[in-house]
Amino acid sequence: MIGRYELLGALFPPLFFLFIVFPLVVLALNLTPQGLAQALGDPYFWSATFNTILCAVAAAVMGVVIAVGFGYYHLFKRDSVIYRVADFLNDLPIALPHTVAGLALLLAFGRRYFWWLGENGLAFTLVAVTLAMLFVSYPLAARAVQAGLEEVGRDLVEVARTLGDSPAQAYARVVIPALREALLGGFLLGFSRSLSEFAAVIMFGGNLPGRTQVLASYVFTRVEAGDLEAAVAASVFCMVLSLVMVALTRSLTGAGGLRRAQG
Amino acid sequence: MLKVENVHFSYGDRPVLRGVSLSVEPGEVRVIFGPNGSGKSTLLRVVAGILRPDRGRIVIDGEDVTDRPPEDRRVGYVPQRPTLFPHLTVRGNITYSLRNGRGDPDRLDELVKLLGLEEHLDRRPDELSGGYQSRVALARALFSDPRVLLLDEPLSDVDPAAKRDLVRRFREVLDRAGVPTLYVTHDPWEAECVGDSYTVLLGGRAVDVDTVDEAIERLKRGAGLGEGA
Ligand SMILES: Nc1ncnc2c1ncn2[C@@H]1O[C@H](COP(=O)(O)OP(=O)(O)O)[C@@H](O)[C@H]1O
Ligand SMILES: [Mg+2]
Repeated sequence: MIGRYELLGALFPPLFFLFIVFPLVVLALNLTPQGLAQALGDPYFWSATFNTILCAVAAAVMGVVIAVGFGYYHLFKRDSVIYRVADFLNDLPIALPHTVAGLALLLAFGRRYFWWLGENGLAFTLVAVTLAMLFVSYPLAARAVQAGLEEVGRDLVEVARTLGDSPAQAYARVVIPALREALLGGFLLGFSRSLSEFAAVIMFGGNLPGRTQVLASYVFTRVEAGDLEAAVAASVFCMVLSLVMVALTRSLTGAGGLRRAQG
Repeated sequence: MLKVENVHFSYGDRPVLRGVSLSVEPGEVRVIFGPNGSGKSTLLRVVAGILRPDRGRIVIDGEDVTDRPPEDRRVGYVPQRPTLFPHLTVRGNITYSLRNGRGDPDRLDELVKLLGLEEHLDRRPDELSGGYQSRVALARALFSDPRVLLLDEPLSDVDPAAKRDLVRRFREVLDRAGVPTLYVTHDPWEAECVGDSYTVLLGGRAVDVDTVDEAIERLKRGAGLGEGA
């Protein structure tokens, strides 16, 4: 018989498999050759794949660049208002519905202020898709940098400064190279998060097949059109892509660092 | 010459140094004793300019450097944990200060020989044992041609067998450098070998003593009375 205290542990495997693994397995089992052929033969599938990867890479790179700046504040300007606000807002996308994020981006970078860039401002372009991905994925890069800095520690900066470096020099010459792993982790996390973004992308970037459609919105469109088999094929493709990204992230940065970054 | 004059320092509202004064002559190695948490590392970081004292002055070669950042003080610092730049080779670590126009490339060979690092110049820090990491950290600090040297338990990661040899090497290197040095250690034997003079840090104050035995005696009494006494 299972004791009271073992109950939670004993419940874990069935609950985990039912709610997390089972749906993924069902998705994979629903893959049909016809669906696969349909998706692979659809030029919109390929443009969605291309857009997804292009925009996710761009968003992840921008995210890491901004996160490196955040890291500078984390080390040297921790008492500043800017740092406190930035640190607080890093948790925001977890709670904020991504439709809200998308709407905010649409209002900010749409026609109202950016009419001079085009009829709809930046909205409904690949730039908009990238900015939507950046908005939701940057905090992960910032957290990865923060976790990396805790590990690298202040000692490196302090030694570099006694050797004549200004704070900015120490950061550029010593901290950033020492953070290589964390930066790579931040990039991969940001990329993965960007792959998965749907709501903010569709609100701000739209869902224009062949133009701003990404894999997430492609799946949505196929389901809406009643084209379930193609939707499943595209979904399995997404799933494999995600699993590869997660595996890559874990093997390159060590699962420990990642967990801390996400926490 | 290094002078620490009536230095006070608190972390937030927690006082750690409460009026520490001491002075170190060129070529003198002053060993700092003190229980864990007595503020030895804090004192070194104040002298290095990493922390700003609430009161008091740091004077190096007659010049008040209290308001200067670490990069303008020319102090050599070996922190408590081995802190080599992980992406640079041993050579890159030792000659780091060249980037800021400090140090003499011609002195590299001499330092490297004195510290027995000839075979290791092209290695990365993570390939080195604790003892070798300490050697590199000392070489890096000295290469920058500092006016003051600060060593925070530089041999605490070294196994006892290697330590015997290393302490003598360090002593020789410090003798040649001729720079006023603060040297933190818990090890009486190491202190005896490397030190010229001794200071005990207790209850936020520094007391100079004449011998290692006297330092140990004071520490024992201090522990009996409680740190605040
Ligand atoms: N960054 C810090 N913030 C707050 N308190 C600290 C910090 N660093 C050290 N302390 C505290 O200050 C006291 C002195 O620390 P330290 O100078 O490291 O002592 P020691 O090197 O003699 O062991 C300790 O009680 C320690 O907990
Ligand atoms: Mg210490």
